[in-house]
Amino acid sequence: MEKVLLAFAAALAVGIPALATAWAQSRIGSAGAGTLAEKPELTGTIIILIAIPETMVILGFVVAAMILVMI
Amino acid sequence: MIIKMSKVEIVGPKDQLLEVLNLLRGKGVFHPEAEVHGYVPTEDEGRIRELLLDEGAVGEKLFFEKFRARILKLLDCLPDLPSRTASIRPLPIIDILYDLVAKHLASCHEWNQQRQTLREECETLARYVRFWSVLEPLVDEVGGDSDLKFFGVTIRSAAEIVPFKALLEKQTRGRCRLSTASIEDGTIIGLITTDPEMEPTLRQLLTDERVPELNLPEALDDLPFWKKSAVLKRLLRERSSRLQGVVDKLEEFAHHWLPVYRQALDWLEERLSLYQATASAYETRQCFIIHGWMTSCGVDDLRKDLNAAFSGQVLIHELEIHHEDLDRVPVLMQNPLYFKPFELFARLLPLPKYSSYDPTPFLGLFFPLLFGMILGDIGYGLILGLIAALLIYVFPERRNLSDGAKILGVSAAYTMLFGILFGELFGNLGRHLLGLHPIWLERGQAILPMICFALSVGTAHILFGLGLGIRYEIRRKRHREALTKGINLLVIFLIGLTLIAELVPHPWTVTIPLLATVLTLVSMLVLVGGLLAPLELLKNFGNIISYVRLMAIGLCSVLLAEVANRLGGMTGNVIAGFLVAGVLHFFNLVLGVFSPTVHALRLHYVEFFSKFLELGGRRFEPLSKKPK
Repeated sequence: MEKVLLAFAAALAVGIPALATAWAQSRIGSAGAGTLAEKPELTGTIIILIAIPETMVILGFVVAAMILVMI
Repeated sequence: MIIKMSKVEIVGPKDQLLEVLNLLRGKGVFHPEAEVHGYVPTEDEGRIRELLLDEGAVGEKLFFEKFRARILKLLDCLPDLPSRTASIRPLPIIDILYDLVAKHLASCHEWNQQRQTLREECETLARYVRFWSVLEPLVDEVGGDSDLKFFGVTIRSAAEIVPFKALLEKQTRGRCRLSTASIEDGTIIGLITTDPEMEPTLRQLLTDERVPELNLPEALDDLPFWKKSAVLKRLLRERSSRLQGVVDKLEEFAHHWLPVYRQALDWLEERLSLYQATASAYETRQCFIIHGWMTSCGVDDLRKDLNAAFSGQVLIHELEIHHEDLDRVPVLMQNPLYFKPFELFARLLPLPKYSSYDPTPFLGLFFPLLFGMILGDIGYGLILGLIAALLIYVFPERRNLSDGAKILGVSAAYTMLFGILFGELFGNLGRHLLGLHPIWLERGQAILPMICFALSVGTAHILFGLGLGIRYEIRRKRHREALTKGINLLVIFLIGLTLIAELVPHPWTVTIPLLATVLTLVSMLVLVGGLLAPLELLKNFGNIISYVRLMAIGLCSVLLAEVANRLGGMTGNVIAGFLVAGVLHFFNLVLGVFSPTVHALRLHYVEFFSKFLELGGRRFEPLSKKPK
């Protein structure tokens, strides 16, 4: 039972930040696409802005990996 | 790398200014600076003033602008034909040309109006002819030369034909006939034939039902219906021939005069741009002074050229670049052959400041390395290498594509190298078929060691970035910021050592003194950088953890490749298995190109460059001639 809970916790640790990242990127992405239509020179800045929320899911992944190592 | 710039001042007699500017434009090496502050000692700033053109020069400039406007209007009227290069020199005949262009403009304007009117008439007549050519057989069917009445109508859609026919029969009590046909563009036209008595009823019906009747020019109203088509065709032939005559006249004129006027326009634009360039010049009572920037290696050459052209009357001085000038020094980047393609990625960022670093060499060194670490597969590397070679061979002229292919080629080499280290060839296929074994780590199994490896890469990368940042801050004489970055670097280094001491116990690694030093350094950090400085330290740790993506995305790629092989094996048939595995490997490869590219770039742009790169530089834009 404990193993199941740990696996579930690992899934939540990576799943919830993944959803949060997806939501943040969808908002930034649509705004970024609008910006690029008017100012293509901001491509680098937009890539950076879109990439920033990804750290959440990477941190979630690290936590999930640490939980799974405990199993 | 960023090319070294020199701050220069060019001084000469006022009457030589335009010739000097012309020479500078021809060379294309000098970036003028309109701002005098920083070039002239503050006490001397009052002795020079912005150069004002004298009355004659202003008059000449206005004349050239008016002349250019007339030529542009004339060129708008003429067809854009390719033309030979005229061998005339516009200056000696400029007054004659100026008068001539006004006359030519009037003639061409008139021809243009005629062409426009005739073209509209031809289009209208062609439409009528198209309708009538369809109606003609219908008229012949019912006897065009009888005393019956005809109505040509347009019907909106095929579905309306039957109800419309029924309505006609009802209203005229069967004393009319509707024939329909469709023309090339899908429009349905109809011919209603009726006896003269029913004409008013029918006309009222068409008005009530809003069925558009085909209207013809009024001149054709009196003609019998069956004669109209022939007259329309004759009119169209006549208008087309007149239109062709006007077009020929314009083309003949363009053939004779376009080279002359294009040559004159080029000359005028060159001349006007010289006047425009005088806006950045200053003057004393007898001399002009131009300030600006150029590459240090080009100063001697320009000095020789000026001496040769003006017999030593025009001098060029190199001035000292002060600390406060650093933000306005224009930036020109040039890179060796290997790094050149990586400018494609560097261009996505704004230009760095002159005193900062060119991001291109760093991208050239680290991007393929990170890409290879993520993808790490001999088979994928081989395919990407072949694709890169093919793209370079097929599209050598398309610069961006060719640069992208070169980057892909280098990244593919690193992918193969890491593939050998991880023992991967299309995932675990190499192990099963060729007995390939990892030289270093098996990524699919060694999750924790791979996380440690990714974090080590991140730590090294971030520490290197902080080191560059310290150098930059010292160069900009911002000692406090340099010290803050130095403490950050030390803290990260010591915490790294502490972690190693915990993981690999050794007599000389003592955890407690290390932690005590870290605490002391953090206190110093607050004193030097303020209360928010520890937040920056935490951000640096976040940046290092972000490098775990190197392992996470790599793991996804390995697992997808293994799934592809397993599904291929489950089919139980060689051909089907090959197809299934091939399709999945193809998708994995596509993901394997995009994902490592985006993530390796992000690690550079967000994590690495933020430690040392200061953006917002001015582009080096020298005076130069318009390319022909």
